[in-house]
Amino acid sequence: MQRSNTYIIIFSVVLTIILGGMLSIASVGLKPLQDKQVELDTKKKILGAVTDISTIEDPNELLALYDQRVESIVVDFEGNIVETNAKGEPIVAEKISVQKNYRMKPEDRVYPVYKFKAEDGSIDAYVFPMWGNGLWDWISAYMAIDKDLNTVRGIAFDHKAETPGLGERITTEVIQSRYVGKEIFNDSGELESITMVKGENNTGLSIHEVDGMAGATMTAKGVNAMLDQYLGCYQPYIKKVKSEGNKVALTQ
Amino acid sequence: METFNIILRAIFIDNMIFALFLGMCSFLAVSKKVSTAIGLGAAVIFVLTITVPINWLLQEYVLKEGALSWLGASFANVDLTFLQFIMFIAVIASMVQLVEMIIEKFSPALYGTLGIFLPLIAVNCSILGGSLFMVQRDYNLVDATAYGFGSGVGWFLAIVALAAVREKLKYSNVPDGLKGLGITMLITGLMGIAFKIFIGISI
Amino acid sequence: MSTETIEKTEVKEEVSQPAEAMLSKRRRKILSDPLNEDNPITVQVLGICSALAITIKMEPTIVMSIAVVFVIVFSNLIISLIRNLVPGRVRIIVQLAVIATLVTLVSEILKAYYFDMYKVLGAFVGLIITNCIVMGRLEAFAMANKPYDSILDGLGSGFGYAWIILVVAFFRELFGSGSILNFKLAEIGLDFQTNGLMVDSIGAFMVLGILIWIQRTKTGYVEH
Repeated sequence: MQRSNTYIIIFSVVLTIILGGMLSIASVGLKPLQDKQVELDTKKKILGAVTDISTIEDPNELLALYDQRVESIVVDFEGNIVETNAKGEPIVAEKISVQKNYRMKPEDRVYPVYKFKAEDGSIDAYVFPMWGNGLWDWISAYMAIDKDLNTVRGIAFDHKAETPGLGERITTEVIQSRYVGKEIFNDSGELESITMVKGENNTGLSIHEVDGMAGATMTAKGVNAMLDQYLGCYQPYIKKVKSEGNKVALTQ
Repeated sequence: METFNIILRAIFIDNMIFALFLGMCSFLAVSKKVSTAIGLGAAVIFVLTITVPINWLLQEYVLKEGALSWLGASFANVDLTFLQFIMFIAVIASMVQLVEMIIEKFSPALYGTLGIFLPLIAVNCSILGGSLFMVQRDYNLVDATAYGFGSGVGWFLAIVALAAVREKLKYSNVPDGLKGLGITMLITGLMGIAFKIFIGISI
Repeated sequence: MSTETIEKTEVKEEVSQPAEAMLSKRRRKILSDPLNEDNPITVQVLGICSALAITIKMEPTIVMSIAVVFVIVFSNLIISLIRNLVPGRVRIIVQLAVIATLVTLVSEILKAYYFDMYKVLGAFVGLIITNCIVMGRLEAFAMANKPYDSILDGLGSGFGYAWIILVVAFFRELFGSGSILNFKLAEIGLDFQTNGLMVDSIGAFMVLGILIWIQRTKTGYVEH
């Protein structure tokens, strides 16, 4: 089939317009649904760290619960609340990509904080998103700390490609429940973080240690480094809230 | 250092063949002789090192959400991500064509060895895969180039090694049903196990 | 793409053939050949790239199969419809453009309705574009045949691809994770030590290698 150049050009242009048009229509049409899915995914993870949401099937119910119970703020490395970015546009906590921020220097990042409120509106727990490297690829966590800002309420890990059956177990209930009740500060008020120890079925674990996963030492290392780094980054904010809390307590 | 790590990882740990199965079709079809394997492998390194950074620029300045803001404030919210696949594959296909023409013009000798493989490369999954993974991993330009290069070298190593094994295989007595593809699959699996020793390597 | 193994399946368009049955013998052959004797994966060695990476579990494999069947059938149909308009010199890029459009559609739909799966499959949906089966069928069949035959050929090749990767996924999930379609066999008392190699890429090579062996022994196909 030997055709003239003009024909080829016209053909290509027409084809491009048709295909491009189809794609744009599909993309624009599906955009709202996709955005909702992404939003639902984030909110599900945040809620999942503090409370049991396995019984909620309806996405709208979940979003309603989120709107009702979660208040989000954004803080910087000094623990100050930030509301606008460098260009003066408002920052929305849910829209922040922790992954993108992870590539910046800790002091340049912004950190989303999600406050989970009890039925009566008082703050019940804080959820801190985290990001790090596992053995193969990224790992991430939403860590929920009780209102005393010390005790872990729950944690929800996610990962890209940890070894199935070994490191991948961080997403299971068994592993995540090991963090519950552990404390991030020691008695003298210094940040201790929580360390996953080597090997499984260890005994005599301190309040700052959790049992490890057999055969997944590298993943555990990544998890420890992630908790260490991010709790360090959130520490100024935590300290600030604590001291404000003390002031309120004193004046009352 | 980080960049060097990315290269190492791409070559040994996230090897295009052994870990990600990318570019299997040409890997299996063109691994019968070492000399042709070297030719195709070199062409893959070449094309990956060129297309990954180009697609990075495309992604960063045209496709991703808000990428067009350099055109003016009114473009700040344009999200063209849905054109990603079609743009990437167009870049790859045209780059391959371009490279082919340039080599043919300036180095007929190199064209003799690489030339016949270049058209095959446009549809080699490892090329498109390189670009897609680059986006997923959020590299910067230098790291993206390093990643493209490393992936190419990893692919090169894999195909040359397999071709060397297959050359010897001619003298072995393989069961009829296992001849060709079957035994190659099993060998690739065994080679993959060997590559496992690189797990966790980093500098 | 392995040019060596593609055989041009040129089914001659016979001139003024009066109303061929919807499923004539010839058409049944178009449909059934790729399922077994001319299987795209085990015999033609095509489309292995994206096939293996997602076969750790059956669920993503099913989604992937549906996506591939969809892309193959529709790209075959579209290319077959415009086959006499496509200029020979740019046909590869035209084919790629059509495939890329369909794949983007699949990916957008997955993202909108099946977000969890979209995250699992990740970049591999995009890699359907370079799945050699799709390109191979377009070049070898759709460019030279009528739309209806092309649809049948697409279905045949698509399902030929699907059943192989589903079998691979079945064994990998069974031995690697001790489950079938996410159902843990331990719950019904079948608790056994899972094999880590099976969840690794190596398991896929091994399972596929053995599968090819069995299948080729049965069909008597020998590669020289």
